[in-house]
Amino acid sequence: MKLRRLLPVCGLALLAGCATNHLVLLPSENGAHGAVAVLDEKGGETVVSQTDSRTSIGGGKPTTRAYAASPAERGLIDSLPPPPIRLTLYFKEGTTQLTPESLPSLEYLRAQVRSRPGVEAQVTGYTDTLGSDDDNDRLSQRRAEEVLDALAGEGIDRKLMTAVGRGERSLRVQTADGVREAANRRVEVTVR
Amino acid sequence: MRKIIMVLMATVVASQPALAAEIGRIKRSVGMAAIERGKEKVPTAPGVQLQSGDVLVTGKDGQISLTFIDDTRFAVGPNSRVALTRYDYDRTRQTGTFETSVNRGSLAVVSGQIAKSGKDAMKVRTPTSLLGVRGTRFIVEVGK
Repeated sequence: MKLRRLLPVCGLALLAGCATNHLVLLPSENGAHGAVAVLDEKGGETVVSQTDSRTSIGGGKPTTRAYAASPAERGLIDSLPPPPIRLTLYFKEGTTQLTPESLPSLEYLRAQVRSRPGVEAQVTGYTDTLGSDDDNDRLSQRRAEEVLDALAGEGIDRKLMTAVGRGERSLRVQTADGVREAANRRVEVTVR
Repeated sequence: MRKIIMVLMATVVASQPALAAEIGRIKRSVGMAAIERGKEKVPTAPGVQLQSGDVLVTGKDGQISLTFIDDTRFAVGPNSRVALTRYDYDRTRQTGTFETSVNRGSLAVVSGQIAKSGKDAMKVRTPTSLLGVRGTRFIVEVGK
């Protein structure tokens, strides 16, 4: 009701003002299908899924047109932070030493930590099912701390990062208890 | 006994503001930009932690870039006022709800885990509309 009463006002007196509320839909970074729904008060919706389009969202019925982003809009998109990174590093059995194969990944993460202002790093450690639960909780925590220390070595305040050990919970490869499994001896690192 | 519990509960409630959980971090800030947190004004700088309820404000040369703990990313354009009205995220389950209000100016968004966690779990409000984010990259513009 309210909307309908507002509409004529928008159309006549506030053409410029009302016409400046827009939704610009862009292609997603990874090519995945995306959409934004314009929801109305009665529970209805208008789904916008056409990329490179502009939709009026001034209160009336949304209308969508093909659209090329303006330089200012391009600039805004370019100033979005880089996508977060997620990597898994693997350890030698019963130790906090990385496997040789994981060393380049650690170097890559260090470079990312260096190049991202306002960085946030989250490290979660895990073990395989060999050994007691308590020992594995401790080992997974030490693995996470060790990697965190390596990242903090890039001059980042350790307080801005978190390390958590989850022992043999969340196995990457399901095994029975007491089984050596290289794929489960790992830390998962997120750098935002 | 009941009295003790009530006192304890009051203590918990009272101490919440200081413990307010981080929901994201400033990555970049250009020109005139600030965070309004209740009556406080928090300066923007890389690494500054954001809280649910924060309002991001920029002047005519201002811009703020930020990343949330669910991987959602924002770029706030010049002459803008963007309120992080409600943000709830369970890091373990990777689910939550997120409501943002673009009261003025422009906001570029790349949605993250919250938008994926349920239909319209992420919403963006403007003075004239309500958007349900179904996972994508977009800009919302609100004129004066």
